[in-house]
Amino acid sequence: MKISIRDVGDAKVVEVEGDVDLGTSPELRSALYDSLPRVARVAVNLQAIRYIDSSGIATFIEVLRDSQRMKKEFVLFGLSPAVLQVFKLTHVIRLFRVFQTEQEALEAV
Amino acid sequence: MSETPRLQMKIDMPSDPRYLPVVRGAIGPLAAAIGWDEAGCREITLALDEALANVIRHAYHSRRDGLIRLECREGAGGIEIILLDNGDAPDQSKICAGEMGCDRPGGLGTHIIRRVMDSVTYEITPAGNRFLASKRLGKTP
Repeated sequence: MKISIRDVGDAKVVEVEGDVDLGTSPELRSALYDSLPRVARVAVNLQAIRYIDSSGIATFIEVLRDSQRMKKEFVLFGLSPAVLQVFKLTHVIRLFRVFQTEQEALEAV
Repeated sequence: MSETPRLQMKIDMPSDPRYLPVVRGAIGPLAAAIGWDEAGCREITLALDEALANVIRHAYHSRRDGLIRLECREGAGGIEIILLDNGDAPDQSKICAGEMGCDRPGGLGTHIIRRVMDSVTYEITPAGNRFLASKRLGKTP
């Protein structure tokens, strides 16, 4: 898994690439918690995620919950069919604000 | 003419998460060879990955040197997956699929396994903890 983070205005865009599983989700969790306090908005690009399991979904749920407590915006965009399939299987997609493109994700928040 | 042998694979792996991609790389093509489409292969791969992750986390408490014996085979009109480990026995009262749609992360993996597979059982045997799951072709969650 590779993670890169860039600043766009008052937001951070987190790009995640590769497999998010039991072995790699702690790194994703650290990157998201490192970004969250620094900006008003965090948008995560899931387009290049090849595989995600429940530990990755649980990481997003945990960060979302804390972002709400911290009055921050946390949104997802670019879900591939494979990633969307896992979100649907776990029935948690409705918890998130999900967008197709980065532009939509940043304009909407 | 001899009957075509049923597809099967056996893997002995350490309880190390770095092996999870290795297993994922093997189970998808096996499910495809049995007859599942791309989405079906992804679901079976996910279910097996979640079962292995449960063994690593709960039976071996994230120790990386435990042994997990994996067997996947064509059978009963679909696929059967068997995991055997020698870690702590699962607490049956704590094996639960979390309430879905809520914002609590616990139980997501177990929910996925039960949603994808048709049958899931956990047994404590003299050889270790045994997880057995099966899925018939043509059934979708």
